Amino acid sequence: MTSGVAVIGLNHKTAPVDIREKVTFPANVEGSITRTIQSVPGVLEAIIISTCNRSEVIARCDPVESAVHDLLNAVAHINGVDPVLLKKYSYIKTGADAVRHVFRVASSLDSMVLGEPQILGQVKDSFKRDSAASTIGPTLSRLMHRAFFTAKRVRNETGIGLAAVSVAYAAVELAKKILGDLQEKSVLLIGAGEMAELTARHLIGQVMRPICVTNRTFENACRLADEFGGEAIRVNQLSEALTQADIVISSTGACEPIIRVTDVRSVMKSRKYRPMFMIDIAVPRDIEPNVNDIDGVYLYNIDDLQAVVSENLGERMNEALKAEEIVNEEVVKFMNWTKTLDFSPTIVALRDKLETIRAREIAKMNGKLSRLDDNQREVLEAITRAIINKIAHDPISFLKKTKSSNRREVNADIVQRVFNLHGFSNQRDDVEENFEDEAENRN
Amino acid sequence: MDLIFFKSAVALYLVSSVSFFLFLLGSSSLKCPTGLWSALAGFVCHSLSILHRTFFSGFFPLATPFDALSAFAWLITGMFLLMQYRDASPFFGAMATPISAVLMIVGATLSFQIKEPIVPVLHSWWLPIHVSLALAGNSVFALMAVCGLMYIFQERLIKKKRLGRIHKLLPSLETLDIINRRGLPIGFFLMTVGIVSGALWAGSAWGFYWSWDPKETWSLITWFAYAAMVHQRLVLGWRGKKAAIMAIMGFILVMFTFIGVSVLFTGHHSFRNPVLRMSGS
Repeated sequence: MTSGVAVIGLNHKTAPVDIREKVTFPANVEGSITRTIQSVPGVLEAIIISTCNRSEVIARCDPVESAVHDLLNAVAHINGVDPVLLKKYSYIKTGADAVRHVFRVASSLDSMVLGEPQILGQVKDSFKRDSAASTIGPTLSRLMHRAFFTAKRVRNETGIGLAAVSVAYAAVELAKKILGDLQEKSVLLIGAGEMAELTARHLIGQVMRPICVTNRTFENACRLADEFGGEAIRVNQLSEALTQADIVISSTGACEPIIRVTDVRSVMKSRKYRPMFMIDIAVPRDIEPNVNDIDGVYLYNIDDLQAVVSENLGERMNEALKAEEIVNEEVVKFMNWTKTLDFSPTIVALRDKLETIRAREIAKMNGKLSRLDDNQREVLEAITRAIINKIAHDPISFLKKTKSSNRREVNADIVQRVFNLHGFSNQRDDVEENFEDEAENRN
Repeated sequence: MDLIFFKSAVALYLVSSVSFFLFLLGSSSLKCPTGLWSALAGFVCHSLSILHRTFFSGFFPLATPFDALSAFAWLITGMFLLMQYRDASPFFGAMATPISAVLMIVGATLSFQIKEPIVPVLHSWWLPIHVSLALAGNSVFALMAVCGLMYIFQERLIKKKRLGRIHKLLPSLETLDIINRRGLPIGFFLMTVGIVSGALWAGSAWGFYWSWDPKETWSLITWFAYAAMVHQRLVLGWRGKKAAIMAIMGFILVMFTFIGVSVLFTGHHSFRNPVLRMSGS
């Protein structure tokens, strides 16, 4: 069999952003573009995955070699780029390599941020969309489900997604480890800086209570507070705000620490020693480092958080090696499955024989049937087709259910002998395609 | 038959302990299915063992140290597995199964299945009331102490900024503190009712409520320790590390009262020389 899975695509590793932003399969609403791809000659099934870092087409083609070429041209045409340019920046994978690629993408081993969790959701969405557009047949459906399964295994069996790899996210994770559920906690933002805002933004999703913002310039505080839906307070109310806040993010441009050990001690007393997580993003420091020694106060500065992140990244690299092994295992399993699909000649012959009988019997009765009008004739055709399909159903499922390859040959032989199929097998090539189309429709 | 259940429970707890231990040493994944499932299987065997002994002796199997420690271990495992179910931190399971296995082995060494029919004074409804209340209180204190340990460990990791895998597997500080906070009044209540029921039982059996037997003295000391803890926590608002240390100290006292006193001194609750049998006869 020459049919197989192929992947054509480009990602952050192979193509610069100005190429990537051109190849995005725009307007692929309800899989309309995927259908266009599927209509390329030789392409039997297709799915398009397009995220900000990658765009790729996964297809089952027959025959693979020539279809891939047409596929590349079609992709170039759809996105309005030069095929030569596209070819330069894209990768083309077939067979086990293609399968491995799909599994790695779903498991986030091919992502820019290794192990990031979003990609699996994006792949699942693409799968849903193209399933609804019915461009996915049994092979790709199986492929994608195995990809989801592999991703799940990677997530459960390795620590790849365990650790936060951005400073803001690491801060949120840490806040959860200190304060538990963040919903009822309050956040105080001191000063404005890019990093502080980013961290605050991450926290907003977790926190129900309004965020407090203070700044030397009250107007700036008001602006930020508006943006976050929080409230602005004046700098002289800082110690009251500290009494309320559970998470403090500080990033002012002050030359001297604005929060001192003695301040925090008295604040802790008035907040009845409820724990407080302080993040000092400013350079030079806004919060005296010794504050970390106070019971119930956890102070992290930007270097601490960065150290956490880089350690986590290293951990992910190690875990990725384990993940690759899992992917390899799954690729082998999938490739074995595709081999079991090779029961077709017998089935083709069986269908062929039954169809021949049907056509012959109708032809015999042609004289008597001449009075039928077109509608009646159509009904007759439908009934006779239904009958032969029903007859074929049991032997076919008998063949398909056979798992071991030795058994399969024996069973195929039995079916051939029972239905006396010798001379029918491998007769016509196009029948095979018909059968496969039907198989897809049934699934 | 019950010994088969008992032995397989101990074996499964040990399997679970080992797999949790290896899991904590390892580097991958957040879950330890082997440890969890063997702990659950052990818990089922353990429950069967207790049930079987109930029918076997015709009465609540709580009269011997073997049975009492087994019931204590059963309560601890059950409670910790419940916590693991709620918080998903494998540390609960990892702490529970070794503790339970040790308690059961200690119980088995002290008195392995006493076949004699239990003495009349123990054949009283006060037995299940008094013992189960006391054991329930103790197991709540055990949970608090383990949470206290985890709190101190987790707090240290966060303060030292060593946020490795252990940090991620441990529950959050807040969760641990909440368990301690909620456990304290519950455990204290159970202990109080346990002591009172013991006194009432003594009153109905022997005519005197309180005889300053070593166990009684020590449980009163323990009661005062926990009363102080309730005061510090609820009135003075102690929390976090201080509360965690208190929970650990308290539990050391509990274990001394529970096992140490029974082994070292003679009295109503002595393990070596079951005075209860004599005083009952």
